[in-house]
Amino acid sequence: MAHEVELQTAGNMWKVMVKPGDQVKSGDTLFIMEVMKMEVPHEAPADGTVSAVNVSDGEEGLDAGMVAVVID
Amino acid sequence: MIYAKPKCSPGGDRFMLMEFGDELTLELNFFSQSLARAALDQKIKGVIETSPCFSSLSIHYEPDEIRYDDLRKELLRLANSLGNSGDVEVESRLLYFPAVYLDPWTAAAMAEYREKINPEKKPDPEFVAQLNGLDDVAQFVRVHSGSEYWCAALGFWPGTPFLMPLDPRCQLTAPKYNPPRTFTPRGTIGMGGGSTAIYPVDGPGGYQIFARTPVPIWDAQQRLPEFESQLWLLQPTDRIKFVPCSVEEFGEIERKVEEGSYVMNITDYQKVSLQRHKAWVEQLDISTRF
Amino acid sequence: MLEVIKSGLETSIQDYPGRMGFLNLGFPWSGAMDSWSLRLANILVGNEAGAAGLECQYIGPTLKAQRDTVIAVTGADMQAKIDGVDIPMWESVALSAGQTLEMAYAKTGTRGYIAITGGINSPEFLGSRSTFHKAGVGGMGGHAIQKDQVVPVAAGHGTPGRKVKASARPQLAADKHWTVEVVRGPNDDWIDEPGHERFLSTEWKLSAKSDRSGFRLEGPDWTFTDKAHNKLPEHGSDPANIIDQGYPVGAINLAGQTPIILVSDGPSMGGFINPYTVPQCAFWKLGQAKPSELLSFEVISVEDAQRKARDINELCSEQSVA
Repeated sequence: MAHEVELQTAGNMWKVMVKPGDQVKSGDTLFIMEVMKMEVPHEAPADGTVSAVNVSDGEEGLDAGMVAVVID
Repeated sequence: MIYAKPKCSPGGDRFMLMEFGDELTLELNFFSQSLARAALDQKIKGVIETSPCFSSLSIHYEPDEIRYDDLRKELLRLANSLGNSGDVEVESRLLYFPAVYLDPWTAAAMAEYREKINPEKKPDPEFVAQLNGLDDVAQFVRVHSGSEYWCAALGFWPGTPFLMPLDPRCQLTAPKYNPPRTFTPRGTIGMGGGSTAIYPVDGPGGYQIFARTPVPIWDAQQRLPEFESQLWLLQPTDRIKFVPCSVEEFGEIERKVEEGSYVMNITDYQKVSLQRHKAWVEQLDISTRF
Repeated sequence: MLEVIKSGLETSIQDYPGRMGFLNLGFPWSGAMDSWSLRLANILVGNEAGAAGLECQYIGPTLKAQRDTVIAVTGADMQAKIDGVDIPMWESVALSAGQTLEMAYAKTGTRGYIAITGGINSPEFLGSRSTFHKAGVGGMGGHAIQKDQVVPVAAGHGTPGRKVKASARPQLAADKHWTVEVVRGPNDDWIDEPGHERFLSTEWKLSAKSDRSGFRLEGPDWTFTDKAHNKLPEHGSDPANIIDQGYPVGAINLAGQTPIILVSDGPSMGGFINPYTVPQCAFWKLGQAKPSELLSFEVISVEDAQRKARDINELCSEQSVA
C-alpha cells in the first residue's frame, strides 16, 4: 500500500534526506521544510521503500498538500 | 544641522514623523523628549502615543479624532512655543554597567555571520577602529568606554535603550550590517551610526558588536528588586557608564543575577544641565582621543 | 477551557487593536495580523469585535473543549473539523464539551482565526492579551500556545448558525498576486525618482523568512537621492542608514537593500529609512499572503488610507451578519 506524504505547510524545501530506492522506517525524517524561519520536519508514516521524491533542496514557494514523497 | 522648522511627514494612516535636525546632539534630544511630553501633557485630542528618539518624534494618532493636517499644525505650534531649550535641567540617574569588551560571545556571533551570511565581513572591533582612525582595538575600547552614555529613547525591542556618548571625544561612527545578523547574544553592546545600544535578549540585529554586559535590562522573571514593578530597567534621561571587566567577573555577576543577589550600581542624585553640557563641550578639543 | 492537543506551527492569543501605547518602551502593538477576520469571528459568537481569540499560522492547532461553547473560524481555510466532520467557515458553530476542533494546514491564505464565545481571558499585560511570542510578552505565559496547556475562556452566550455575508469578507488573492496599498513616507525623500518607479513597478516576492516581526521582500536594488549619500557620519555610511528614529507600524524598512515590512511584532525604532508605509487597511493582505507570492504596491493618500480603514471597521460589526 503506497503512502503519499503531503506537504503539511506552504513554504520552502530546506533539506531532502531521501532518494528513490531508500529504505525508511516509520518516524524517519524524510525532508524538512522551512517557513517563518522555523523548521517543519516531515516523517515517514510507515516502514517501506521510497518510490518517488518530487521535491528538491532549496525549492521555494511550495504549496501545502502537494505530494512530496511516495513510500511503497 | 538643526532645522529652523521641524520637518513633518506622514507614516501610513496613523503616524506622523517630526524631524528636528540631522545630527546627534543632546540639545536635539532634549527637544524631542520635551515635545513628546508636552504633546501628552496638553492632552491633544487624538494623540495616542509619542516615541521620541535622538532628534525626532514619531506620533501615533487616531484618524477618527484628528486629521493629519490638524495634527501637524498643532504639533508645529507646540514645538514653536517650547522655543529654544534655555537652561533645561533634568534629573538623571547614573548606572554603572560592568562589560567585557572584545568578548568571546560577540566574537562567536560574528564568526557565525561570516560562516552563514557574509564571509567578507571584517571583525567588528577592528573594522570600527580602522574606520574611525584609531590606533588599534585597545584604543577603541578606551574611547568607547571613556564616556557616560545618555539614554535618548527606548525602542526597537522591549526596554532597549538608544544611547549617545555625552563626551564628543568618544563619538564614533559605524555602518549597520547589510544584511542584518540573525543572532546577537543577550547583553551585547553594539554601535550603529553614532548610536550605541544594548540587546536585552538574544535576537537579530544590525549594529557592529564588540562587548557584552551581564547586567540585565529586561527581566521577565523579575529576579532583582529593580524589576519588581516593571520588566525593564532603563528610561530616557538615564546615563550609563560601561566599566570594562573580565570574563570571570562577568560570570560572577551572571551567577548573582540568576540567584537574585546582584546589587546594581545605580546613583540618583544628579541633574544634567543642557547649558553646562554645551559650555563644557565647546571648550573641549574634540580631536583628542583617549 | 480549551485543551491544546496539538499546538500548530505558531498559534497565539491575539486581540484587536493589540497593545497600543507602549511603542516608546519598545513594545510593538502585536494583535491579529488580519484583524478583519478576527473581528468578524468575534461578532459571530457574540463577543466585542476586539476580544481575544486565537491566530493560527500555516498549520492550525487541535483543541478539545472542556465545556459547551460556540466558536467561529475565519481567515485562511485550515480545513476545520469538529470530531472529524467538516465545519463551515465564517459561521458560528456549536462545540460541545469533550469535542475536538481540528485545524490542519492552510489551503488558502496563511492565518486562520478562532473566536470563542465569551472571549479568551488569559492575563493581560500592559492592557492587552496579545502575544509578542519572541519577547515573552502576553499570550499564554508570554508565548504561543503549547501542547497540554489549557486556554482559559470567559463565559459567553453565543448562538450557532450566524453567518457573515460573502460581500463582507476579505477576498483572498486567488492568483498568488496581491496589490497592497502604501502611503509615501516618512523617508520618501531619500529615494530617487527611478528608485520610486522601480519600487512601484516591481512584483516583489514575499520571502519564506517572513514572520510577525517582519515581511522580507525580494526584488531589485533601491537607488538614493543625494541626501542619503551626503550626510553626517552619525547616520551611518550606508545610504539607507539614518540616525535612529521611531518607525511607523507598517513601515517598509530598508535594511541596506532588503525591504522588510514591519508588521505586528516589528521593531518600533531603529536606524534604517522607511520610504513607504503600509496603512492599516492593507494589513490583512499581509496577514494572508503566502511565501513566494507576489506583492505589487499602489500609492494612495493618507486620507484614502484612512477612509479604507474606516470602511473595514464598519464591516466588522453586526451589519455584516446575514
